[in-house]
Amino acid sequence: MFEARSIGGKLLLQLVLTALAIPFLLPLVAMVQGSLAGLGWRNYLTVLSVPAVPLFFRNTILLSAITIVIVYALTMMAAFGFAKTRIAGKQFFFWALLVSLTLPEVVLITPLFLSVAATGLYNTIFAVLIPLAALQIPFTVLLTRTFIEGIPDSLLEAARIDGASTWQAFWHMILPLTRPIGAAIVMLTLIGTWNTYLLPLLFLSDPSSQVLTQLPGYFQGLYNDDQTKVLASAVITAFPVIVAYLCLQRLFERGLSAGALK
Amino acid sequence: MTTTAVTSTPPRSSKAVGGARRRRLLQPSGFLWITPALVLSSGLVYFCIAYTLYVSTLDWNGVSPNPVNVGFGNYLKLLQDPVFWLALQHTVFFFVVTFAVQTVLGLLFAVLLHSKVRLASVYKVIIFLPVVLAPAIMAPVFRNLFASNGEFNQILETVGLGFLAQPWLAQSSTAMFVLVVMNIWHSTGFAFLLYYSAMGQIEPEIIEAARIDGAGNLRVLWHVIVPGVRGTMLALATLAVIGTLKLFDIPYLVTLGGPNYATEFLGTLIYRQTVPLGYVGYGAALSIALLFLALTLSVILNLRGREKRDATVPIEAAGVGMGGKE
Repeated sequence: MFEARSIGGKLLLQLVLTALAIPFLLPLVAMVQGSLAGLGWRNYLTVLSVPAVPLFFRNTILLSAITIVIVYALTMMAAFGFAKTRIAGKQFFFWALLVSLTLPEVVLITPLFLSVAATGLYNTIFAVLIPLAALQIPFTVLLTRTFIEGIPDSLLEAARIDGASTWQAFWHMILPLTRPIGAAIVMLTLIGTWNTYLLPLLFLSDPSSQVLTQLPGYFQGLYNDDQTKVLASAVITAFPVIVAYLCLQRLFERGLSAGALK
Repeated sequence: MTTTAVTSTPPRSSKAVGGARRRRLLQPSGFLWITPALVLSSGLVYFCIAYTLYVSTLDWNGVSPNPVNVGFGNYLKLLQDPVFWLALQHTVFFFVVTFAVQTVLGLLFAVLLHSKVRLASVYKVIIFLPVVLAPAIMAPVFRNLFASNGEFNQILETVGLGFLAQPWLAQSSTAMFVLVVMNIWHSTGFAFLLYYSAMGQIEPEIIEAARIDGAGNLRVLWHVIVPGVRGTMLALATLAVIGTLKLFDIPYLVTLGGPNYATEFLGTLIYRQTVPLGYVGYGAALSIALLFLALTLSVILNLRGREKRDATVPIEAAGVGMGGKE
């Protein structure tokens, strides 16, 4: 977009870009450096040898995996329903779903707390999982509906004339064709669940049921002022999301822009 | 009638003729497809809103078996609560500053990375990475970064600005600055990504034509590129409004709303009133006020977008999901 004809101009563009990007890298550098201060790598060994750490990981992985499956399945079905089938009062139902897009989760804490207490889900990941999925779905449906609307009707009609049921059309055409937006859904839901803090803070108080976002707090309690351990736990927690992002990066960006901009 | 035979649901009798009728027959009825999502999402959400509305009329600590109905009492209390108004002021300030900086930086990064620069993919990763990292994980990092013996003060001293070094988090006057910086760090990548995609859709011929007419880089940016991404900008504004109203993790984990309410937001206020203090009825009234603000503002922003005819509802919602996790 910017054009630099001379070498100096090119160098200037590169320099400006670098100067602007460095502050974004600084906190990460500080995090890694801080985690290596004092005992160096032994900080990581100490953190990893705390028996609760694998539990935090297991709980977060379970939470993310189940939420992703639920969100993906319900989103695909609903987005297909809204984009390609006839439903009486379709607009009404669509807007009814969209209202929750603006909903801050903190608004839900009282009713959720009472429901969780009443159903005995306290200290189980389901107390976090169900509201998380419920709040994620409207957004992913919105993205995916736009994407599916871009698939020509004639393709689906051809499939039906050839004798495919709606379900077969959904399974053999819609799902493969929506793979980029599918990656975006998986990534967004992964970020959302991996990073969720308020709901676990409310509903998961027992360390055996807690998730990774509670790990720094747990170490704060355990090691008091030894910030190196806290930072080491932060690095360990951040690592899997970074890897997931790097792996899905291309698909994710394609899906997000395809769903968002068309 | 062969087409009817293969549809899984019986066709509705329709008075439409020709193509419209054929489409009717071929489009299956889809209520079952949307039911599970509606039951889970709308079911939970509307139940919670209705219940919160009811609780907001009570004087209740959450466990007492006989709550007292106080009608609009909690709402009157809210209007007279100086901390509520303080939290609103903080919300407005936070939104204005973070949105302005995030827009400028996001646009600049997008333009620069669409230009011919080296290692573009590395820069993209560096800018977007903060988006995927939880504020809950990064909060200890930022607390250390801005501690009085932290890296930020060290950097100031290294570049000769040592007189500016101060305990950033311990003072009412500077704590908000740290939260703003952290939020900009966390959310600019998302703005960048949407601007980057939007710029990819601007026809190169238009930019070429502007250049042939003698426009320099900055004029192209201002007169061609910025108007071309106005829809995205509006969408991001909606997201930032809702994201700021939702703000909880960052102020709760970095400053706990303090010192002396200097970084109190609606989210932290609702949490404090409802959970540690046990004023559940008052917390519910605050929640309804927050919900009202979020809905009203997003409707206003969306309607204005519609008028400008470049509204793209999907992006307007696009970061809501992510904004919510801030």
